[in-house]
Amino acid sequence: MKDFLDLILEPLNELFTKFKEFVPNFLAMLVILCIGIFLAMIIKRFLVKFLAAINFDSWSDRMGFTKIMRKGDLWSKPSAILSAIVFWLLIIVTMMSSLNALQIPAIDNLVGEFFSYVPRILSAAIILIVGYLITGFVSRATLIAAANSGFHYARILAKATHTLLIVLILAMVMEQLHIAPSIVLAAFSIVFGGIVIALSIAFGVGGIDAARRMIEKESIPKHEEPEKDEIEHI
Amino acid sequence: MKTVTFRTEVREQLELIGQADIIVGIPSFNNARTIGHVVRAIQAGLAKYFPDQKAVVVNSDGGSSDGTMEVVHNTSIDDFNSILLHHRVEPISKIVFPYSGIPGKGSAFRNIFEIAVALGAKACVVVDSDLRSITPEWIELLVKPVLIGGYDYVSPLYHRHKFDGTITNSIVYPLTRALYGKRVRQPIGGDFGFSGSLAKFYLTKDVWESDVARFGIDIWMTTTAIANGFKVTQSFLGAKIHDAKDPGTDLSNMLYQVISATFALMETYAEVWMPVHGSESVPTFGFEYTVGLEQVNVSTERMLKVFKEGLGNLGEIWVDILGAGDYNEVERLCALSDSEFHFPIGLWARVVYDYALAFHKKKLPVEHLIKSITPLYIGKTASFILQAKDMGQIEAETEIEKLCMEFENGKDYLVTNWK
Amino acid sequence: MSDFYQTGIITTLHQLGKPSLERLEGDLYRFSRVRPIALVLPALYSEFEGPAMQGIIQELSKVKYLNEIVLTLDKASEQELKHVRELMAPIPTEVRIIHNNGKRITEVYETFLRNGLDVGQAGKGRSAWLAYGYVLALGRSDVIALHDCDIITYNRELLARLCYPVACPNLDYVFCKGYYSRVSNKMNGRVTRLLVTPLVRSIQQLVGQHDFLSFLDSFRYPLAGEFCMTTDLARVNRIPWDWGLEVGSLAEVHRNYSPRRVCQVDIAATYEHKHQALSPEDPGKGLMKMAVDICKSVFRTLASEGVVFSDGLFKSLLVTYLRQAEDTIMKYETDAMINGLDFDRHEEAKAVDTFTKAIAMAAEAFMENPMSTPLIPNWNRVTSAIPDIFDMLSTAVEEDGN
Repeated sequence: MKDFLDLILEPLNELFTKFKEFVPNFLAMLVILCIGIFLAMIIKRFLVKFLAAINFDSWSDRMGFTKIMRKGDLWSKPSAILSAIVFWLLIIVTMMSSLNALQIPAIDNLVGEFFSYVPRILSAAIILIVGYLITGFVSRATLIAAANSGFHYARILAKATHTLLIVLILAMVMEQLHIAPSIVLAAFSIVFGGIVIALSIAFGVGGIDAARRMIEKESIPKHEEPEKDEIEHI
Repeated sequence: MKTVTFRTEVREQLELIGQADIIVGIPSFNNARTIGHVVRAIQAGLAKYFPDQKAVVVNSDGGSSDGTMEVVHNTSIDDFNSILLHHRVEPISKIVFPYSGIPGKGSAFRNIFEIAVALGAKACVVVDSDLRSITPEWIELLVKPVLIGGYDYVSPLYHRHKFDGTITNSIVYPLTRALYGKRVRQPIGGDFGFSGSLAKFYLTKDVWESDVARFGIDIWMTTTAIANGFKVTQSFLGAKIHDAKDPGTDLSNMLYQVISATFALMETYAEVWMPVHGSESVPTFGFEYTVGLEQVNVSTERMLKVFKEGLGNLGEIWVDILGAGDYNEVERLCALSDSEFHFPIGLWARVVYDYALAFHKKKLPVEHLIKSITPLYIGKTASFILQAKDMGQIEAETEIEKLCMEFENGKDYLVTNWK
Repeated sequence: MSDFYQTGIITTLHQLGKPSLERLEGDLYRFSRVRPIALVLPALYSEFEGPAMQGIIQELSKVKYLNEIVLTLDKASEQELKHVRELMAPIPTEVRIIHNNGKRITEVYETFLRNGLDVGQAGKGRSAWLAYGYVLALGRSDVIALHDCDIITYNRELLARLCYPVACPNLDYVFCKGYYSRVSNKMNGRVTRLLVTPLVRSIQQLVGQHDFLSFLDSFRYPLAGEFCMTTDLARVNRIPWDWGLEVGSLAEVHRNYSPRRVCQVDIAATYEHKHQALSPEDPGKGLMKMAVDICKSVFRTLASEGVVFSDGLFKSLLVTYLRQAEDTIMKYETDAMINGLDFDRHEEAKAVDTFTKAIAMAAEAFMENPMSTPLIPNWNRVTSAIPDIFDMLSTAVEEDGN
């Protein structure tokens, strides 16, 4: 009879010991979670103040981030959005570390993977932001330079520059994030190469005469140059 | 204040000369063709008008490859002291040439100021090395007001073709005049006279590493002199004819250099120009006479095309800078046919002020911002050419006067929006 | 662009070709010597945080012909008032700010109340009315122009065109209303298209030709918030403080002046309000209230001109209106089709249903109490009740301003 009782009590006992081991972990998790959320809230509040102090919103207006947000139907202030993003990132990190405190192997692995992925996300975000700024700058420089020389298709040229650079940057970001790297690489090569070939064919077929004129103009000494304006601007 | 360390031979020369009354500086770069004439005119002028003053000619060269310095060396008469030196040329200016064609013109001027101060000169003159119309009288006209008249700064006054110097006529002159209240007609003329004390003052300003010194040294000198209360005058020099421009300098670069320097100075001297109302003329030396000028070829058709294409391409940038109302006006102009095209001067004054404000508020990267004015400027220039086609010199000048008044009357807008 | 057809009994000034703003402003500058112009801007503080105000200030800072700008600021704290003052600083014209929540202005409102003058609830109508009072108190302007502060596509040409007919000393207009096309990729301005015009025409159908109805029907966009008038008119006009503001004001103009002295002017090729972020209240509710107020205003005005409204008439009106509105929808649908605009017929029909209900509710309210009037008394009456009110008002504004 005692055996039978042991048979029943043993697993229960084990369960109890396991539970006893688990309880401190669980409490640790709760504590980490609370502190994390609390810290995240404080940091968020601080960040909002800080961003307001450095006039982040108007900077964002100038750099065109606000416009992107509005296009995505986000109508809050840019600083609020940024603080919210930081807040939720912190919450995720807190959750991850609190789960880690449970010391369950499967979760441990997951958490480990997550934290090894974080640097990639960060660098991808940096590439995205810097890339976006550079893209805007370069395409506007193209636009202004082309427009100032009276080129009719300046806008299209600038748009094309913009699109190509964005494609390039997105490919870099995807590569960084390890999202289907082989497919991204292949797709990028195909798209980019395709564009270049399409352009060269288009120019070759449509622009034979223009190309000839350009080459002739280069090779013939400039005796036929159209009369230049003699006006002196300075 | 950092001082330029002269090379040993220059220092030896300076010690040898010891002291001088007049310094004439010629910055140069590949001007072998014209610089001989310039040096001869200077020496003749010095000999004729200032025989009893000790004068030194300083040629500061930006690394010419056509033997400019040899020409100067050979032309120099032995009676005269002359210093030949190279000024430092920043690598960047090899790519972007300043509008006046001399790489490192700022460094050249700094050298000249240093020498003037080192030799204790009373009066200094700088002239362009590509001048074809310089005469010995120029030296008299640029030096006398300083030596005898007690002025600190002599800016030039030329007779130019009515279509020439449009950046000066439609932007720099009206703007400087409205801002600082002095009617200095050629603030970026390139040939100036100034006193030793002003040279000393220039050296105290720490701008030598900035873009202002690199490209906008002319407007910087003029503005600094006016804004700091130096006594300013101008001398009538006759016609200004110089060697053909380097075709490599393109218009938008030229605009960028001149306008960014002017706008940057507005930041520095905001306290000075804010309270100024109206303008007063500055005393003028020299005898004004009309000079025959060459005919100028110009195609307004092509200019208007650039202007109209500009609207389609840069419209979004313009509307941001000019605001909806004035942008609409620009749009309306684009719909006009070439023959009835007219850029209202009030609109142009507001455009320039709006760009100054956009520069102040950092709406765009500086280079983008200022280069985007190019089609507007071309449109304004075309309008002026169409309007002044059949005008005489005096009538054309009256038109510029009207534009200046428009700038002065509209200045309130600039002042109230500048914060 | 635009045709030159003259609609109705008032003068219509079209935008023909591309007139130069430079010339308009030059003219206005000369006119303003003879007839100084004041601009009244009713604004909420929230509008200064929106995208429109920045553009409006940038444009106004280039306007030279204005004599003064009176800004009535609502829902703003002291701190915010200071901020607004900083924002308005670029404008060269003298800007006076009436701080509606300010201590002294609140006291002025109490004074009205004490003396039995019901000036209604806070809103655009009351703000504008107080601003007129202030302009009258200063007595330095002959012309008052008014526009909203939430126009994203603001262009100072709008202001110039609005002021021109009244400010020009050679013309004899006392009131000028703005109109514009409310077309983006679809037709906006539902209340005008589907309520006011069909309603006016239905009543015309039922009661026959009526001066006020043809007057109202002459306006291309009777609900536009932009208008310009002489200060004399501002003195004698009573304006409603509710949503019936625009229609009620037109009724007063009609009552006091001949249609010959009234005009409407095309003020903008494009017109876009501030994008209203999803408002917390039920949007149908706001629209409903607006529709009811407008209908009541129409009924009241007609009743005061001798039109007899009976239960039967209202019943017929509902049916007539429905028919009119349906016909109108069809017209607009065709118009949208030929121009390739989006047109949601279902949405339009739903709007008509809402408006029908609104008419019924307005009719009910009217039958219950035909006398209820949301009109703010005119300034002549106010000054006779409180002779020193102008002094009090200008002191209050100045003191609040410091």
